[in-house]
Amino acid sequence: MRAIDYAIREAWASLWRSRGASAFAVVAIALAVTVLGALLLLTSNVERLFAQWSSAAEFSVYLRDDATSEHRGAIEALVDRSGVAAGREYVSKAQALSRFRRDFTELDGLTQGLDDNPFPASVEVRVLGEAERDGRADALVQRVARLPGVADVRYDREWLGRLAAGLGAVRSVGLTLVLIMALAAGVTVAAVVRLGLYARRDEIEVMRLVGSPMAFIRGPFVAEGMMQGGLGALLALGLLWVGFVALGAWWGGQLSLLLDGATLRFLPLRLAAWLVAGGMLVGAAGGFAASRHAA
Amino acid sequence: MIEAHKLSKFYSRGLYALRDLSLSVGKGEFVFLTGPSGAGKSTLLRLLLRQERPSEGDLIVNGHNLSTLSRRDVQEYRRGIGFVFQDFKLIASRTVLENVTFVLEVLGVPPAQQRRRAFQVLKWVGLQHRVNAYPRDLSGGEQQRIAIARALANDPLLLLADEPTGNLDPDLSLEIMNLLREVNAGGTTVLVATHDRELIRLVGRRTITLDQGRIVEEA
Ligand SMILES: Nc1ncnc2c1ncn2[C@@H]1O[C@H](COP(=O)(O)OP(=O)(O)OP(=O)(O)O)[C@@H](O)[C@H]1O
Ligand SMILES: [Mg+2]
Repeated sequence: MRAIDYAIREAWASLWRSRGASAFAVVAIALAVTVLGALLLLTSNVERLFAQWSSAAEFSVYLRDDATSEHRGAIEALVDRSGVAAGREYVSKAQALSRFRRDFTELDGLTQGLDDNPFPASVEVRVLGEAERDGRADALVQRVARLPGVADVRYDREWLGRLAAGLGAVRSVGLTLVLIMALAAGVTVAAVVRLGLYARRDEIEVMRLVGSPMAFIRGPFVAEGMMQGGLGALLALGLLWVGFVALGAWWGGQLSLLLDGATLRFLPLRLAAWLVAGGMLVGAAGGFAASRHAA
Repeated sequence: MIEAHKLSKFYSRGLYALRDLSLSVGKGEFVFLTGPSGAGKSTLLRLLLRQERPSEGDLIVNGHNLSTLSRRDVQEYRRGIGFVFQDFKLIASRTVLENVTFVLEVLGVPPAQQRRRAFQVLKWVGLQHRVNAYPRDLSGGEQQRIAIARALANDPLLLLADEPTGNLDPDLSLEIMNLLREVNAGGTTVLVATHDRELIRLVGRRTITLDQGRIVEEA
């Protein structure tokens, strides 16, 4: 306890004494945490929207014009028994046509001249989120496609798959970058903390000669690195918050249109706390490495 | 207190700083270590403070075998040893009082006790009126008295002094020696390295003379 108290006091004094260099280390940590935070902000939001979109998944079973009501009954029975569907709706040829006319009024003329209704009847199936994710929906789609009376099954999940893959790539590249930056930040902290070693060399010599425990000798350096890391992480969170707010202010309108009403969220408090803890950990590691020269 | 048996220290093969040294210092003794420059006085004190390890032979201090102490044990061992050097080793950025409380603090002594003990030892060396001064504002003799106060703060069993009067004029030197004699009268074993034969004559205590790493005279 007394060692911690001592370490914190000495670390503050040292931080202040070499504030120029310390600011440098704080910025290095802040950069790494900013990149990590931005990455988390991006992936957490995309993942959340992704889940929303996935839960809104549905597929359409288009019926042949010559499909009988037995065919339709068999399809619906299979869907109901599968446990994959959250609900289903039959859309008749007439309903399909009027839906088209409603959604695309400007193309109305195109359908006016037709004698025949070109739109197929369909069964629209809303898929449960977990069935979508664990592949049961895909299996059902394949089975339904083989039933008699079925013209085609449209289950357009490919773009979600591509999004997931893209997100995975962004994440692994980003994390690699973060790892490198964290390492660089740790090394910077170590170098800056080491400057304090010189300023305190007389004290350290006396401490060693009187048999002071290692916690007292190395503690201040670890604490100093930890402070730099914590300050850097807080700075990064501030920057991220400002960036997040600015993004909302400038492009909020377009974004909400693009996101279909869904909103972007800032990093949850717990994650932010983890980022600060991570910054402190990297700083402490740098300080600890620097303190080897005191021991 | 100190038992050395065939103790040797060399930095490179064949060049001995200490050679086959055997000596015994009892608890509560006051011993001078003297000899020409390069005789090995500082080397012996460095071994006793466990700043270096013996190359050969045994050095047992207060039951600790200094050849085999672990890192942790070294810390523990040093807490029982006070040291005074020619260059004082005071911390320039700390006041007189803080120079003393500092060592107590980094040994984990509670704050109230730190101040009480620091005032006690500073009073004892006669510097209680300069507690708020900085080392640079004090004379050499006063600085060495602070170093002695600091060495006494943790109540050492053994006090090691390497040329404690090396930077002081004869009057001040005698004053410092008298202070060390008082420390010794309090029960602390004191070992002083000096080449000031006049001072040794004035104080008149057991004297071990080294030359080229060997004991050449004991008086
Ligand atoms: N770190 C070292 N590396 C190599 N040789 C050393 C080292 N330290 C001391 N020596 C040698 O050991 C011998 C004894 O040195 P020491 O400092 O113990 O002498 P001393 O009696 O204290 O002399 P002085 O009166 O000048 O202080 C000298 O020959 C010195 O050159
Ligand atoms: Mg010497």
